[in-house]
Amino acid sequence: MTVMAASGRTARPTFGSALAKAFLYSFLICLGIVVLYPLVWMALNGFKDNGQIFGDPFALPSRWTWGNYVQAWNRGVRDYLASSLLVTVASAICTVLISAWTAYGLTRTPMPGKPLIVGLVLGGLMLSPTVALIPLVRMLQAIGLYNTYWALIILYTAFRIPFSTFLIRAYMLGLPKDLDEAARIDGASEGQIFWRIILPLCQPIIISCIILHVLFAWNEYLFAMVFTNGSAVQTLPVGLTSLMSKNGTNYGVVFAAMTISALPIVLLFFAAQRYFIRGLSEGIGK
Amino acid sequence: MANSGLARMEGAALSNAAGEPAAKAGRPFRHWSSLRWVAVAVILVGWFVYYPIVDNFIVSTTDEDIFTGETTNIGLANYERLLHDPVVWVALWNNTLYALISIIFQVGGAFVLAALIEGLGSERQRRFWRAIYFIPSAISITITGLLFYFIYQPDIGLLNAGLRRIGLEQLIQPWLGSEHTAIYAIIAMSQWQGFGYSTLLFAIAIQKIPRDLYDAAVMDGAGPLRRLWSVTLPLTREMTGLMIIVTITGAFQVFNEVMVMTAGGPNNRSQVLGTWLYQQGFIQNNFGYGAAIAAVIFAVTMITGAAQLWYTRRRRIEL
Amino acid sequence: MKYSIQAAMAALAAASALGMTMGQGIAAEAVQADANAKVDYQGTLSVLTKFGAQQLAPYLVGVAQHYEKLHPGVKIELIQESDDSVKDKTKTLVASNSLPDIYFSWTGSWGGNFVRGHRAVDLTTVIGPDTEWGKTLTPAAVQAFMYNGKYYGIPLYLDAKFMGYNKQAFAKLGLSAPKTFEELLSSCETIRKSSMTPISFGNKEAWPAIHYVGQLLAYDVPQAVLEKDFNPSTAQYSDPGYVAALSQYKQLIDSCTDGGASVNGTSYSSAIQTFSNTKSAMYYQEIIEFDQSASADSALKVSDLGFFTLPAPKGAKGDVKAIEGAPEGYMISSASKNIPLAIDFMKFVTSKQNGQVLSASPYGQPSATIGGASESNMNPSVVAGLKEIASASYLMPWLDTVNPPRVASAWLSSLQALTGGSMTPEQVMEQVKQAAASSK
Repeated sequence: MTVMAASGRTARPTFGSALAKAFLYSFLICLGIVVLYPLVWMALNGFKDNGQIFGDPFALPSRWTWGNYVQAWNRGVRDYLASSLLVTVASAICTVLISAWTAYGLTRTPMPGKPLIVGLVLGGLMLSPTVALIPLVRMLQAIGLYNTYWALIILYTAFRIPFSTFLIRAYMLGLPKDLDEAARIDGASEGQIFWRIILPLCQPIIISCIILHVLFAWNEYLFAMVFTNGSAVQTLPVGLTSLMSKNGTNYGVVFAAMTISALPIVLLFFAAQRYFIRGLSEGIGK
Repeated sequence: MANSGLARMEGAALSNAAGEPAAKAGRPFRHWSSLRWVAVAVILVGWFVYYPIVDNFIVSTTDEDIFTGETTNIGLANYERLLHDPVVWVALWNNTLYALISIIFQVGGAFVLAALIEGLGSERQRRFWRAIYFIPSAISITITGLLFYFIYQPDIGLLNAGLRRIGLEQLIQPWLGSEHTAIYAIIAMSQWQGFGYSTLLFAIAIQKIPRDLYDAAVMDGAGPLRRLWSVTLPLTREMTGLMIIVTITGAFQVFNEVMVMTAGGPNNRSQVLGTWLYQQGFIQNNFGYGAAIAAVIFAVTMITGAAQLWYTRRRRIEL
Repeated sequence: MKYSIQAAMAALAAASALGMTMGQGIAAEAVQADANAKVDYQGTLSVLTKFGAQQLAPYLVGVAQHYEKLHPGVKIELIQESDDSVKDKTKTLVASNSLPDIYFSWTGSWGGNFVRGHRAVDLTTVIGPDTEWGKTLTPAAVQAFMYNGKYYGIPLYLDAKFMGYNKQAFAKLGLSAPKTFEELLSSCETIRKSSMTPISFGNKEAWPAIHYVGQLLAYDVPQAVLEKDFNPSTAQYSDPGYVAALSQYKQLIDSCTDGGASVNGTSYSSAIQTFSNTKSAMYYQEIIEFDQSASADSALKVSDLGFFTLPAPKGAKGDVKAIEGAPEGYMISSASKNIPLAIDFMKFVTSKQNGQVLSASPYGQPSATIGGASESNMNPSVVAGLKEIASASYLMPWLDTVNPPRVASAWLSSLQALTGGSMTPEQVMEQVKQAAASSK
């Protein structure tokens, strides 16, 4: 569309440009292999036993049995997956609702000290979770949330509100005011305007926010590692490392577990790719 | 903590927030009751995001024994110890290395790659390549870290076996075991994981460049390289600047991949600030000192954050 | 818990009150067990275990159910953690003042933490060497939990490090179990010529090196010096045996393994796998790992697994009959509401009968109870290993649990450096000395 395409349209295909094209494609393909092969290797190793894994790493599995995958599933991946699912879904709902609610307040209602509040909420984007780690441990221990799902749900929500609020607020600023003005004249309450008019209008950005949040929460490691330590509440990224230490000698199972954990989010990305890119595009603005 | 790509995007978002007209909804009358809309967010963010950062500075001036429950105020002793701790300097250097290499690959490399992809003929092809390169970014860095831990293994690893197969035996290394290569091996994994995300972001920025600018450049007889240099680059400069700053910020918060692949070893040579904080605070029971290390991370991210704001403000005035 | 800056920041941190409630509820003085207390078989006991691994988890579940059946008023709540997670879990529980009634502890500085914080019940009157209960347990194991002349721990099982070897591979090369360290090194040369890795060794986790060095230190440094140096306030680390042991360790790396950097890049679990796949001739392991090295499914047959104690160097100045290893056990929380019941439960856990179950496969954890091992249903190597432990003159504790955290961490990282060749033995000792000085 831009650089190369423009040249293709004006200049005649010469030997030079054909060569450049060949180079370009072989480069893209090679890079593609570098990106994909390790992932394929991971999935294939899930079918191998230790003897094969210690043999030629390029060899295909000698038999295609799901044994390792079944074992990985039963040895904890099922529970980790359930925890991840719970934490991700709950925090996604909380984050998006609270953020939309906040964005509405910031764009549609009069309130005192609004610039301060905008600065406070959006300024949270600059603060790093690593820096807050030690105080958070003490705080969560003191309020008894340590090693519970709530710890992760609350933290994921709190740390993602600034970003989601930013996205939704930017979108709401672009929505015309006539609709809610009209509704207000008709006697609708603020709550009704939010739920019935504005929220449905924000659907595209809400979807983007959810996808971005899921991508974050599903893969988060630092908080999950520090704030949970029983296998009952561990999410996938942490569970995988503990699975690795408990079944360290059975590599096939570890590879299978890694593959199972990676799969849902890759599939989600492909399914929602269009929304996702739109979300990014809107997030960057201009 | 987050996927580096996500962090990158947040940086981009932040710069926008700064530039937006802030007082759009300024109305003549004010309703205190409207605060209910923002109360939950303000409480959550204030309590779990801002307060811990303030508290971190308090913790960093103490020495606490969790077993006896005694806490003593030791002033700036932890910061003094920081200056004399050789591992802190190793970690700082490793974080810097992380930033530099990431700028080369995830900003420079990704920019060129995005331009190449956006130059392809059909939208289907462009979408295909962007998606392929993006896949590793969708996978948890914990998983990719574990995966590369295996790839780098001396005995079962893919990398050494591959080198042997193509006749480069002399390059075979215990990648994560050697003090000289461990941090580079980790950084390489991180490039593999993250470049697709930055490529996607650059691609979006390039898509927003008006087409007629390219047409005009072609009229003037500019070749592809020339157009890349004098059209694409200047018009994505804002994005590039942001990416550099956000990459630096991200590089100073690195934690997951180091923790999973080497936990800072061998001999602390692959330690970064994040893992050293964890090691001190959680393994060696030294919350106070860990908090002091956290303060260093805070300082670096604040400085780059300020640079980011300054940069976008300045750019806006110029435009 | 008062900070001067706190007041100034009170407005900013309205919620801080919640974060400041720690540091209360710790007993100001040590709580002593009352030997004559009447046990009230009512209520709930919580137990933090280290048996979270899949293979071990059922053991205490079974014992607890049995105890509950005997005493219907009692409920046992198990918090089962793995070897990896138990340290963090314990710290969390300590920091939030919610230690369970009974909790796992290592010997050495780890257990010392609970004693120092008055969080462990002084059990001298019930488990001391002359008491009824104390007499049923291996004396050295009870001794290992002694702090300031008092007994705080209930040893559950014994662990020690041995060199496992592939008998078949040794026989093929005409080798036998080496008697001296020098003989071990020369055996390695012979094995290497047969293109087998002599010793598979993975030190990515950094503690495996500590195990080699710990055993060599026991051989080269007199026991009294070692124990003096474990205590930061008396530590000197000036005995020449330290450097000697580290040099021997380096020789072993050079002659017997795939090279230092390779060792540092390999995980210990991968190393045991190499041994189990018969790709290496030896693997230095804990007695509780014997069942992992050789099993019915592995390439290494159970009958081909032999073991010997890491042989002592000629002219060693320390205790050549020492074995590196330590009992592991449990302590009782001083905050427990029902200390007599907790003691009674632990007496039940350490009974001869329950000990025999623990020693046998699939658990394979050699019980610390005298007579708690019945040879008939145990792995023969574990039986033989236990005999070695029983005849050892000194149990050398693990360097990473006996030392305070800073010293332990200095050992861990500088031994990785020694392994990889970037530090000399003298430099390692310099690091350890510095860490000990700053831990005073």
